[in-house]
Formats: sequence, C-alpha cells, structure tokens
Amino acid sequence: MNEPRTGSRPVGPRLIAPDDGRRRTWTTTKAKPVRLSDALRVVVLTAGGLACVVPLLWMFLGSFKSPTELAQRPPTFLPESWAPTNYTEALDRFDFTLYLTNSVVVTVLATLLTLVINSMAAYALAKYNFRGKNTLFLLTLATIMIPLQVILIPVYQVVASLGLVNTLWGMIIPAAATPTGVFLLRQYMLSIPDELIEAARVDGSGEFRTFVSIVLPLCTPALAVVAIFSVMWRWSDFLWPLVVAQSEVVYTLPVALARFNAELTVPFNLILAMGVVSTVPVLVLFLIFQKQIATGVANTGLK
Amino acid sequence: MTAAATRTGGWGIRLAPYLFLLPNMVIFAVFTIYPALNGFNMSLYSSSNGRVFAWEGLGNYERILTSGEFWGVVRNTAVFATSYVVLGTVLAIVISVLINAQRRGRTLFRAVYFVPVLVSPVVVGLIWNWMLDRQNGLVNNALSTTGIPPVPWLVDGAWGMVSIVAVGMWMQVGFYMLILLAGLQSIDPTLYEAARMDGAGAWDQFRVITIPMLQPTIVVVVVLATIHGFQSFDFIWTLTGGGPVGATTLMVQYIYENGFQSPIRYGIATAGGVLLFLVVFTLTLANWLISRRREAV
Repeated sequence: MNEPRTGSRPVGPRLIAPDDGRRRTWTTTKAKPVRLSDALRVVVLTAGGLACVVPLLWMFLGSFKSPTELAQRPPTFLPESWAPTNYTEALDRFDFTLYLTNSVVVTVLATLLTLVINSMAAYALAKYNFRGKNTLFLLTLATIMIPLQVILIPVYQVVASLGLVNTLWGMIIPAAATPTGVFLLRQYMLSIPDELIEAARVDGSGEFRTFVSIVLPLCTPALAVVAIFSVMWRWSDFLWPLVVAQSEVVYTLPVALARFNAELTVPFNLILAMGVVSTVPVLVLFLIFQKQIATGVANTGLK
Repeated sequence: MTAAATRTGGWGIRLAPYLFLLPNMVIFAVFTIYPALNGFNMSLYSSSNGRVFAWEGLGNYERILTSGEFWGVVRNTAVFATSYVVLGTVLAIVISVLINAQRRGRTLFRAVYFVPVLVSPVVVGLIWNWMLDRQNGLVNNALSTTGIPPVPWLVDGAWGMVSIVAVGMWMQVGFYMLILLAGLQSIDPTLYEAARMDGAGAWDQFRVITIPMLQPTIVVVVVLATIHGFQSFDFIWTLTGGGPVGATTLMVQYIYENGFQSPIRYGIATAGGVLLFLVVFTLTLANWLISRRREAV
C-alpha cells in the first residue's frame, strides 16, 4: 500500500503500470488432463465471443450485398459478389468523403487540444504549490459529475452566442477540457522526481521550456493513453455533433449515418457500407494499441 | 531557486501554474460551469420555441412532475438503467472470471469481448436494428431454425426494452470486463492455493475470495455502469428511436427532443437535465459512501 516513493525512476504510478500481476497466475505449467469444466468454459467463452463479433461480421458481409440480396429470406450468408459497388455508390450519392474528412478533423484537432490543455493543467496541479490549488483540483474533478448530456441546452446556448453552431470548432472545443485526462496525467506527473525539474531551473530553463522538453517526454505513456481514448471517443461521439451540425457541410460520420438512416429513401446497403468505413479505423487503432488500451481501461475506467 | 525564478522571463514561478491552468480552466468555466449554473437558472423560466420568457419559479418542475409523459420517461430510464447495471455487472463478472481461469487464449478472448466497445454507438444501433428486424432479421431467422416463432423485438414495448438493455450490454460489457479482469489479476494467487489446501471448491473460492477481493473493482464498474445507463442515448436513437410509442424513450432523448425538436421547450428540457443530474449524483455518492463504509468495517 504505502510504497516508499523512490523518486529516481521515471516510471508511472500504479495507475498505468503494466499489468505484471498477470504473470504470477500464468505459472501453472504442469500439463494437466483436460477436465470437463475446462472444456465447458471454452465452449461458453467461444459462444459469447461469437456473439460479440458475428454482428460486425454480418455488417461487413452485408455491405457487399445488393438491396434484393439483403431482402432475401432466409438471408444469404456470403454476398454474391465482392465488388465494392455499395462503397462506390455511397461515395457518389453523398459527400461521404466530406463527412469522413470532418470526422478526422474533429477527432485529430480535439485530441491535440485535449492533450495540450490537459497536460498543462495537470503539470500545474502536480508540480507547483500555489494558492487555490486544491480548490481548482477539486473543481476539475467535480466536473466529472456534469456530463454534456445534462447541460445540453445551456452549452448549446453558449456555443450559439459564440457563433460556433454549425462549425467544427463548435464540436471540438466544449468537451476538450476533460477532467479524466487532467486527473490521469496529474497522477502520472506526480511520479516525476522534483529534482529533475529543479535541476532544469538551476540550468536556467524557463518554466514552459522545462515542461515541454523535460516533463512531457517523460509522460509519453500517459499521453498515449489519453490520446487513444480521446480519439476513440471523439470518433464515435454523436449527441453533441448532432446538436451542433445543422447543415450537411459539417456532418461527421455518425451524424451522417443517423440522419440518412432516418430518411427511408436512403438504401440500407449504402448505410452498411458507411458503417463499415466508420468502424474500420477504430478497429485498426485497437489492433495497434491493444496493450495501451487494455491497461488504460483497466486502471482508470476512462470513457 | 529565487534566482532561477526571476530569470524565467514572463514565466515567473509564481505565475506559471496559473498560466498552465488557464486554457483548461477557461474551457471548463465557459462550457461546463457557467452552463451548469445557467441551466439551473433557465429551468426556472418559462420559454417557447427557444426564447426565454418570464420567471416561473418551480413551474417547469411542477409541470414535468405532473406530466404523464415525463413519468413514462422516468420509468423507462429507471427500468433500463437498473437492468443494465445489474445484468451488465453480473455478466461482466462472469465473463472476466471465465477468461481469467483460462490458461490459454486469454489475450484473444479479452480482445474479442472488447471489440463491440470500439464500434460507434450509432453503428451499433443500426446493426442491431437490422439484426432484430421482425421479418428479415438474422436473430429471428436463426431462432426460426429451432422452431421459435418470430419475436417482436423492436415493435413491442416490453420487447423493445429487452432489446435496448441487451444491445446496451452487448456494446459495453467488454469494457467492464476489462476493468474486472485487471482486478482479478491483482488478487494474490496464494489465497487460492491456501483455500484449495483447506479443501475449498471452485464455488467456495469464488464466494469467499474472488468476490470480496474484487469488491472495490466491482464498485468502480457499478458506478461507471450507472453513469452510462442513465445517460444512454445514441445507440437507442438508431436502434428504436425511442419507440414503439415512446416505450424506449430515456431521459437524455427527452432532454434532446424538448431542447432541439419542435415544439422547443427549454424550460422543460433544462429542468429534466437538473433532475437527471440529481439522480446520477445521488446514486454515485450513495455508491461511494456504501463502499467506503464496507471498507471501514
């Protein structure tokens, strides 16, 4: 519990430490006969696992099917042809590339903004003593209790009075100051030895330069976790973009999907193709950053 | 240190923390704290089509608290959130315990169960709306091969509720599973060895070691699931649209519709927001207090 703070290792606190606890339970290497309960467990887990991936596989297969094929009963499993006609048609009929671009722009800029302002705030709260520090930290944490959903209309009014309705900035800025990001980065920065910062000061490095060239590089793992979660969340965010985006020019992918799905004139095969395109990037991201995501979720419950 | 502080040109050590905090705090103040206060304020005024009129006092609250529609939404939200939290937590515990007991394929199962969490909720709603279609959906087609008659998943009120709970769990259980798995892996394995030597079976080990040791993690999951449950909106929007006849309309959708779809009623929508905040706040606080008291014992 009360680990002595060695202070010399720039590793993170337990919050983001790798889950090395796993190895301890792996050590049962003696070959044991397969028992019925083991087999049963594998069967149950496999069935559940199928339930997790089949709907996505079904969407992927469906995205290659024609409307007549989709209406068939009983449904066909594999599409008749693997030609990406639904994808090209979706591109032709809608400003699909525009929505894709909007989604990318919002995701990237919002994540960058979050990283910059969250890490700055976290640094102030972790490494300085100043009047009002505890109050500001508690205030930051308290905003976890006030999600956008419950203050939807008043936030919209603020955004409207700033002229940000129907702009991508209107989607990006309001939720950029995430309390969880500040909290996570602060916890991580606490483990950076003060001596390091003092030494930089003695060498005449300015406060901001110390932050950028010494503190931030040491925080890369924590920054990565915040970045990954911000990307995943912003990419699939819906309610706020729905409220801000009132014309098609600023639709993000989820908004476009929901809007077009509500219009019965848009064929479902095109919706499926768009759904696949909006899903693939996060899946790829997950495959690359699986480890960081797993430890990030496991230790902070960020979302 | 003072010498260094004076040399930092504009970034004096006294001023620095405030400047570092400034951007984050400005956004908090403008887009969270002010709106939260203003939202409460707005809920005390009458409004029509987006224009705020006269002071109403608690009139909006009185109006929604006496409206059948509102209580319908409250009931839906309560039923959904309770089922979602209870069933979701139990399922997540079961899955994580099973995965943790695996000697091989643990990482694979963990990844597979996490995949739905990654899918945009809007897309989740779309897929399941299609899969649960009464006539042509994959689910009913699969059931019919075993002779089960088509289930009116999305066209019957009660089944609609079942559907949004099930789909909500499909989408999020992997997330809770991951948190619990980390909790399970931090339990000291010697505890189990000791229990086995005392002749405890699998169920006894689960009951006497796993659950008590996992309790702090379970509290985290319950708190998160409560917040998620009460704030569910996006996947339901594309799954049922709140229907049939409002049977799956939850609080956030009620706020959204009153705030942004005609007839726009800001007073009602903001009053709904304040009530939702109070409920989630109370539940989170209660959860936290209960878990603290248990730890103290």
